[in-house]
Amino acid sequence: MIAPISRRAMLAGGAALGAGLVSGVAEARILPRDMVPLIGPGYRAVDQDEKGLWQLMERVEEEVSGSNLLIKDPRLTSYLGTLIGNVGGPAAKDMRIYLARIPEFNAVMFPTGFAVIFSGLLLRMRNEAQLAGVVAHESAHFLRKHQLRQWRDARRKTDVFSFLAMGAGVAGGAAGIYAGDLVQLAQLGTILSLLRYNRTLEAEADAMGVRLLAEAGYDPTAMSETWQQLIGELDMSAKYRRKKRDRDFSLFSTHPAPESRMADLRISAAEAKLPGRSYDAYRDRYLAALSSTRPTLLDDQVKLNDPGASQYVINTLAKDGWNGLLRFHEGEIWRLRNRSGDDVRAAQGYAASILYADAPADAWRWHGIMLLKQGRSTEARAAFAHYLKMAPNAPDAPLVRQMMAG
Amino acid sequence: MRRLGIALVASIALAGCVQTRQYADVEFAPPQGNYKLLVMRPDVTVGSVTTGGLVEPRADWTETARVKLLAALRAQQAERGGNVLILDRRDSLPGVDPDTIADLERLHYAVGSSIALHRYSGAYLPTKRNKGLDWTLGEDAVALGRRTGYDYALFLHAEDSFASTGRVALQVIGVAGCFVGFCAPNIGGAGQFAYASLVDLRTGEVVWFNVLQAGSQIAGIKMGDIRTDAGAAQMVDRLLDRMKPGRHVRRRQAEAK
Repeated sequence: MIAPISRRAMLAGGAALGAGLVSGVAEARILPRDMVPLIGPGYRAVDQDEKGLWQLMERVEEEVSGSNLLIKDPRLTSYLGTLIGNVGGPAAKDMRIYLARIPEFNAVMFPTGFAVIFSGLLLRMRNEAQLAGVVAHESAHFLRKHQLRQWRDARRKTDVFSFLAMGAGVAGGAAGIYAGDLVQLAQLGTILSLLRYNRTLEAEADAMGVRLLAEAGYDPTAMSETWQQLIGELDMSAKYRRKKRDRDFSLFSTHPAPESRMADLRISAAEAKLPGRSYDAYRDRYLAALSSTRPTLLDDQVKLNDPGASQYVINTLAKDGWNGLLRFHEGEIWRLRNRSGDDVRAAQGYAASILYADAPADAWRWHGIMLLKQGRSTEARAAFAHYLKMAPNAPDAPLVRQMMAG
Repeated sequence: MRRLGIALVASIALAGCVQTRQYADVEFAPPQGNYKLLVMRPDVTVGSVTTGGLVEPRADWTETARVKLLAALRAQQAERGGNVLILDRRDSLPGVDPDTIADLERLHYAVGSSIALHRYSGAYLPTKRNKGLDWTLGEDAVALGRRTGYDYALFLHAEDSFASTGRVALQVIGVAGCFVGFCAPNIGGAGQFAYASLVDLRTGEVVWFNVLQAGSQIAGIKMGDIRTDAGAAQMVDRLLDRMKPGRHVRRRQAEAK
């Protein structure tokens, strides 16, 4: 026989449960020094649930490693391998990185220790320290067993919720009251609590990333710079579309708000730096490794036709100095948007590009076309001649020759 | 109380079910006699259903089930007279690059998803009406057939899951609740899902497709278990042993009688 429970007592209990699950919205910063690796070198799955997860992930890795989206440039892949060796902590030798040609700012770590980095991320990084920061954040997910802990958290919370919901139903049934509202409240509490745990793990990865970065001799402030860039880009992208970036901190977010991440990262970086030790951003090394891939990355970004974001990315990269490649793609942004007045801006971009020695052949081609449109045919002919000299076997070479003649 | 009992039994009877639904090319004749069949690496997952209803993959169960399913498949095909090669791994077909196999698997995944969407999920296409099964893997499949001499390729996917102790306990409370007026007799969550897809390597066409679902809505009651010899044989039987010929073939057979 179940003791009758009053509706009021049950509602109070449920509200307390809900409140308990979602309380602590202002999450405290996680300290880099607390972030010790939970696994050592050569780690393999130990528990039953983890073994199941690993088996599943082995199939996923097989698919990822064979995907035709991967950029397989051997120089770049070995470079990424070195990076994970630098900031991978005890698992440095066990982790794998795959580079996928997807023009978005993202990277994903899988529970078995392989990461997928999107090419859009490579485009946005100004130096090796910034990229190593992202790699360090992803390694931290593996070193702190985040996916497994998240799975266990989800399993435990849904287990508890199911028993409570069933118990509330049965108790309510016995007492003759309806417990549905209460169960829904508890369900919402469970969902919010799962998302909150996810944000905690992201904050952990940020804190540990800073630590790994500093330990490897990279300037750990690079991570907060990355977030500053992301915020700036999202703002610009929204502004060009006459929208506002969604900046409300939401209980429903899987990641902490970019602003609070940036602030926490900045404080953590100051904390992680040892007095007297020198930290470097390794910009030259990064540019050398990326040199043959960057044109493709810029091209992919510009073709997204998101002028605000593209312009911001190019301006950010140009903080380290303009060059012909960046100016050319600046012109491309406006040519592709093609609103009134954009042709003038595009022409300016191409004209600026060809002043640099590294201007791509296409910059000369488009510069010529723009000159031709303005009726400056002699100058156009010179530009086309330069284009043909650089790209004599271009598919449109006969057409360009005809334009020069006509 | 008696009426409740009757209702429970009725709901249990309704809740446990095994369903298959197959589609075939209008001209499909089930392979018989001395044919050569290539079974692509079967995709098997077995898990445990947690109290909260999540499926937790189990490495040991999956491995056992995979071995048992392959053995059952071999036995079933031997009965039908087929010459079978089961690909354990992508590189176990001599003379064929594992990437070629991987590409074909991915292609089939895309085509199979399209079949699932337009034949099983209700998004019917007017252009496919009355055409039986009208999908193809195209030249890639034909090329594989020509190179290896196989007549058919079979793609297999199987999932099975079992209620954990916690889930069963939850079910017991749910059933017990019926006596106090809060009835949750079928929280379910465990069961089997499998599909098989037969591709004619001489034409590249998907000639036959079958989907199997087996499960009970009452956690703890199993409708099959592919971790056992008998259970694996049962799934192979349910999924593959009742191939129906295509519509035109059946009509001609009826006319001939």
